[in-house]
Formats: sequence, C-alpha cells, structure tokens
Amino acid sequence: MPATVNAAKCKSCGALSYPMHFLCPKCGAREFEPEPIEGEGELLTHTRAYALALDYEQRYLTLGIVQMDSGIRVTGQLAIDEPRMGMRVRATVGTVRVTGGSEISGLIFVPA
Amino acid sequence: MRDVAIVGAASTPFGRSQWSLLKLMAEASHAAMTQARLGDRRIDAVCVANMGSARNNRQAGLASALVDRLNLFPAAAETVENGPASGASAVKVGFQAVASGMSDLVLVCGGERMREVNNLEATEFVSYLSHRYAEYPYGVTLPALAGMFARLFMAKHGVTAEHLAMVAMKNHANALLNPNAHIKMELSLEGILHSPHALMNNPFVADPLRFFDCCPVSDGAAAVLLAPAEMTSDLTDRPVRIAGIGQATDTQAVHERPDPTELTAVRIASQRAFEMAGLEPKDISLAELHDAFTILEIAQSEEVGFFKRGKGHIALAKGETQIGGRLPINTSGGLKAKGHPVGATGVSQIAELVFQLRGEAGKRQVKDPRHGFALNFGGFGNSVVATILSRGF
Amino acid sequence: MIDELEAMLRPPALEMAPYPPKFITLASGEVMVVRQASIDEVDTLLEVIDPLKHLHRDFYDIVSARLYSELLGWKVHRVRNEYCLVGVIDGVLAGIVNGRMFDERHGISYHTLALKRGLRVGAHLFAAKMEHHIEYLGEDEVWIVAESPIGHRRWMIEYPLATKFEIQHELGGAPSWVLTRETYFKAKPRLVVGTRPVPQDLLATSRPIKKPDLRTMLVQVEDTLEARL
Ligand SMILES: CC(C)(COP(=O)(O)OP(=O)(O)OC[C@H]1O[C@@H](n2cnc3c(N)ncnc32)[C@H](O)[C@@H]1OP(=O)(O)O)[C@@H](O)C(=O)NCCC(=O)NCCS
Ligand SMILES: [Zn+2]
Repeated sequence: MPATVNAAKCKSCGALSYPMHFLCPKCGAREFEPEPIEGEGELLTHTRAYALALDYEQRYLTLGIVQMDSGIRVTGQLAIDEPRMGMRVRATVGTVRVTGGSEISGLIFVPA
Repeated sequence: MRDVAIVGAASTPFGRSQWSLLKLMAEASHAAMTQARLGDRRIDAVCVANMGSARNNRQAGLASALVDRLNLFPAAAETVENGPASGASAVKVGFQAVASGMSDLVLVCGGERMREVNNLEATEFVSYLSHRYAEYPYGVTLPALAGMFARLFMAKHGVTAEHLAMVAMKNHANALLNPNAHIKMELSLEGILHSPHALMNNPFVADPLRFFDCCPVSDGAAAVLLAPAEMTSDLTDRPVRIAGIGQATDTQAVHERPDPTELTAVRIASQRAFEMAGLEPKDISLAELHDAFTILEIAQSEEVGFFKRGKGHIALAKGETQIGGRLPINTSGGLKAKGHPVGATGVSQIAELVFQLRGEAGKRQVKDPRHGFALNFGGFGNSVVATILSRGF
Repeated sequence: MIDELEAMLRPPALEMAPYPPKFITLASGEVMVVRQASIDEVDTLLEVIDPLKHLHRDFYDIVSARLYSELLGWKVHRVRNEYCLVGVIDGVLAGIVNGRMFDERHGISYHTLALKRGLRVGAHLFAAKMEHHIEYLGEDEVWIVAESPIGHRRWMIEYPLATKFEIQHELGGAPSWVLTRETYFKAKPRLVVGTRPVPQDLLATSRPIKKPDLRTMLVQVEDTLEARL
C-alpha cells in the first residue's frame, strides 16, 4: 500500500500543485513528477464534522486545511484533540476511509 | 440578442414530499405555464435542473421524461447538472435559447427529491461535490467545508455565533410567511444559543456551525416560463425581465484558493450580472442569497457588493436585511428555512424574485421592488450564477 | 378488588422510584415539561398514537403499533415494571418514551415517539429515559435496540453505546446494544439537559394532557403537499 500522498511538481517550471491538474496551473506544461507531501506546516482552519457521510461509524471527524512549509496547501484529517488555528502540525499518512472493505490512505496531521 | 421575459413562475411546497420527482416537477411546471395566456402556442424547449435523480430516484433523462409527463412533444429537452447551482444555470441556458432567437417559449424546471434516500445517503450524495481525490476520501462534506470557512471568516471579520443565529432567526421568520417553505418554526436566541439547554437543541454539525446554521435536506420543484420580449404583452400583464446574468467558476478544492475566505466566483459572477444589467448593487430592492449555511449569507452579501468587506454582519445586526429593511435578503426564508432541494433551489430563488416583482408575495411582500438579485452557489463556491430581474419593460 | 386469577396474571412489580419532572427551553423558545405519565393518562396517549400506526414513514408505523401495545399492556397490568415519560409543550403532548425495569440492575428501553418534529424532542426524551434508568431507577445498564438507520446514528453512535449481542432484547430481532452507567455519565454533560424543579404553575400546565393536532404537527408534510397546489 502506498504510504505517501503526492503533490505534482511541474517538470518545466518546478511549481508544486495539489491536487494535480491536467496542466500546470502556473505554466501550462503537462509533465509532472510526484513530490511526496511530508514535513510540517501551519493549520489554517479546522472543524469537527458530526454529520458524516457513509462509511464512517465514529461520532465525528476532525478535518483541517494546512499550509505546508513546502508552499502547497492541503486538506486532511487531524489526529489532534484540541486543534487551534495557526498551530504547527506534521503530516503523517494513514487510513482515512474504509469503503466497501478497502482502505484508502491519506494525510492525517498530528501536532508537530 | 433579444430581451427575455419571465411570463410564469411557480413552486411546489418544499419539505418531504410523497410525490415522485416527476410529479413534483410536473406540478410546478404546469402551474408556471398556466399563468401565461399561451393559447395554442407550443413550448419549444424544456430545460431541467437536477443534480442527482439518477442516483437518488433511479431516473435519468429527466428533461425528456418531463416532456413526456406534460405531453409537450416534440419540445427539445435537456437537463443541466451544475451541482446546487443547476437551477440558475438552467435558467441561463433557457435565457440563451430565447435571446438567441433559437427558441421562443422555454420552460425551465428545477427539481430534486432528496428524501427518497435516508439522511446518510443524502449527506454522501451532497459530498460528491467535493474534490474526488483531495477532499472526498477524507470524509469532507459540505457542512465540513462550510465549518472550516466559517472559522476563518469569523476570526477575520469579528463575526460571532450571535450573528449566525440572527441569519437563522430572520430566515425562519420569513419562512413563516411563505406557505411553500419547508421549515415553519420560529427560533429564539435563548433556545438556540443562550439557554443551558441550547447545546442539545442546537448541536454542532461542523463547528463552529450548528444545526440551525445549516439548511435542511428537502424535496421540491420550481419552474419559470421564458418568452421573448416581443411576445410578452400577449402572454402576461405583469412581465418580469431578465436584466442580467453572470457566471463564474473557482477551484474545486477549497484549499487551493489564494484566500479561502474569499468567494471569488461570487464576486465575478455578480460583477458580470450587474454589468450586463447596467445596474449597481445599490439599485437592488431585494436579494435571494445562497444561505445553505448561515455564514454564507453574510459572506455573499459582501462579495456581491451590497456591503463592504467585513461589514455584512453589521448590516444584518442593524436589521437592514429584514423585510422592511434597506435590502431585504431571503424573503422566501432562504435555503435555511424554505429548504434546499438542490436542483430546484436556483429556479426557486428566481421564482421568489418574480413573485416579489409582481407584487404577489403576500405577507412577505417587499414594498414596490424594481430590481431583484439572486445568487445560486454550487459546490463550495466552485460554480456560481448571479441573476438580476427587473419589473416590466 | 382483584380476584385470585387476576392476581396470578398480573406480573409482580418492583418498587420503582419516580422520575422527578424537569423542563427544557427548546430552540423555538417554547418550554417542554418532561414528566412521568400516570396510568390514568394512558387512554389519552393511545388515542394520539392510534392513527400513527398507519403512517408508513420513518418507522412511525411499527414504533406506534408497538408503543400502543406496550402502554395498553401497562394499563391492564400485563407488562412488568413499565414506565412512560412524556414531553408536554403548553399542555400539548409533544413526545412519548417508555421502557421497563428488567430487574433491579438492568433496564430495557422500549420506544421513542416524537410527535412534534424539528425541535429535537425525540433526542431530549431519549436522554430523559436514560437519565431515569441510571439516576432514578438506579440501574447499572440499559439495553437498547434501534429500529431505523437514523436511530442507530442517533443513539448507538451519538452516546456511544456498546454492543451486547449476547442478550436478546425484548423487541426481538436486532442484536442489543447497551448503555452503561459509565457511558451515561460521560455523555451526560453533552446530551442530558433540563432544569429542576419545575415551578408548580408550569407543571400544572402539563396536566391534563391535550392531544396535538397531528395535521399541523407531524402528518402535515404529507397531506398539505397534496392539498396545496
Ligand atoms: C443539518 C442536518 C445535518 C440535520 O440532519 P438531521 O439531524 O438528520 O435532521 P432530520 O432529517 O432528522 O430532521 C428532522 C426534522 O428536523 C428539521 N430539520 C432538519 N434539518 C434542519 C435544519 N437544518 N434546520 C431546521 N430544521 C431542520 C426538520 O423539520 C426535519 O423534519 P422533516 O424530516 O419532516 O423535514 C442536515 O439537514 C444537513 O446535512 N443539512 C445540510 C445539507 C447540505 O449540505 N446541502 C447542500 C449544501 S450546498
Ligand atoms: Zn509549470
């Protein structure tokens, strides 16, 4: 199982984007190389969501948007009891959803 | 381009319906069509707005099914799916057909039957609007996106839970004056915020947003009948003109926006609509905004240009957006209390403006309105359509 | 006077502590009194429940049919240790919950029926029922089954309850879940609200129970949709 979540790094201008678009949002080129999303960042905003979609049996999910030090921004789950805007967080990869028996992995942030 | 008029507008009651989706749509359509003196004129085209009939109601090809149901053969039929902005999108497509001269009479009907599935399925269905890889797998739902937006927006502009509650209380009060509204219930600040029992009455759905900050999940349909200006005097005595339409798209993943508290597509779509209409925000007599979440009414009222950035909640607190205020917002009850059958919503916002401009809004009638503004907002601001209607010609 | 045969037919009853009434300010600002119903009120409750047996929506039919028989059973002394709590707004019945003591340590939750929708009446009354079992009847655990997917989300996940599949709940069918004393007190600050004591004049408004006009409450949605256009 892939233990990384990748951003797309443009082979011609080097810009990072996430999620990947068909063309580089900066220069329009089509060739990318995967760049693992890892390391630390700053939590921009967060929520505890209680009205959950299918597949979730827990009472709530904690979600957030993180500004990574690498420059990109990502949405992920938070394994943080008392999240605060502006706190430092670190990216890990784990199971974020189980759909029809198969596990989907994705970004889970923990306090840095 | 020809001028286009709305010569009929109708809505079913919103709520939980026993009616099938097609029955809801047929009732709204029929009611809109019978308002016009059609004589033996035929409908040229039917444009349907819907987001999920194939998933929730086991019905695809909805527009041709509606033509069949209403015996409108051989009218052209197409369905517009543009998320929760499908309604205003479909009106725009109908407008283009008439304005271009390609069609004369176009029926636009938005309908959704979301309560055919249970609430978990409905939440799941709506969450398909999020980014398939960067949001959806994380369990991101529309309320969750709204919660993250609200936290940022409130911190930036000093908006409080009381302000959000004021939007809910105002729109619930307006809905009590709208016989077609889903939620007919007064709210008290005490009951939803201040009493020691409030947390249980009004639990968090996606903090800081609570139950009464969210729209309900509804069934319903609304329809408008469009005709070219030159035909309107034959068809109706109270024509309403489509003065301007603007539309814009923003990134699908909310985190990719340079400033996630800005609703850029709302700003651009509104500017375009005002430009086309030759009007400014101060000319507008009333507005229907897309308050799927209370915070959105405040944020949109600023992006549209009604209030300065960061001042929407202040105008709200002063009562300026109530019926009788300077700019009544969501006289129908809004999505918050009228209900939000996703595909129907945009058409129903436009229908409310028509009722108001024709002076038919009953107890919620705004005094002598000239221009109405509707904002239909898809995804979390990914796809936005602004529509301006004017009374007469 | 009950004769000898009747005495045999009647289940022996445990001593049951009363549920002290409380009141809750609802979202609308209306005040709901939550109190124990007495046997002499059962006929009124049955009259309200009766037509709902035919409401084929949200499991109202099965819940109403079962609640009807449970309350009738209580009235004619055929169910042991049963109790019933009601929510009353301005004298009008808004919701009913019931259950019984299985024995001194184990309670059984029967049904939750909300007559007024949109005010979380059902959630408030379910919480009151848990409060009764644990805090007033003094039991260690309550056995619960849900009859709808939404009920499952509301009770099993919200509290959250643990599974107790080894026991057979009286409602048959689905495996049982359990609320323990520990989970109750953990959930209490979040889920159990209400103010005591209820002022005498407020309490007095809750008796006799007035029947709700179901057309303007629960059934409205179905009927008026048909009637309005
Ligand atoms: C807020 C929400 C989670 C509540 O769901 P819920 O707790 O399962 O509520 P229920 O469906 O059990 O509602 C019970 C009653 O409460 C009332 N109610 C439900 N949601 C309500 C709301 N948001 N505001 C006011 N009353 C509401 C209704 O009267 C409803 O009765 P009905 O079934 O006869 O219509 C749900 O409505 C929701 O997800 N809303 C957002 C929908 C959305 O994202 N739409 C797309 C946005 S673009
Ligand atoms: Zn590039």
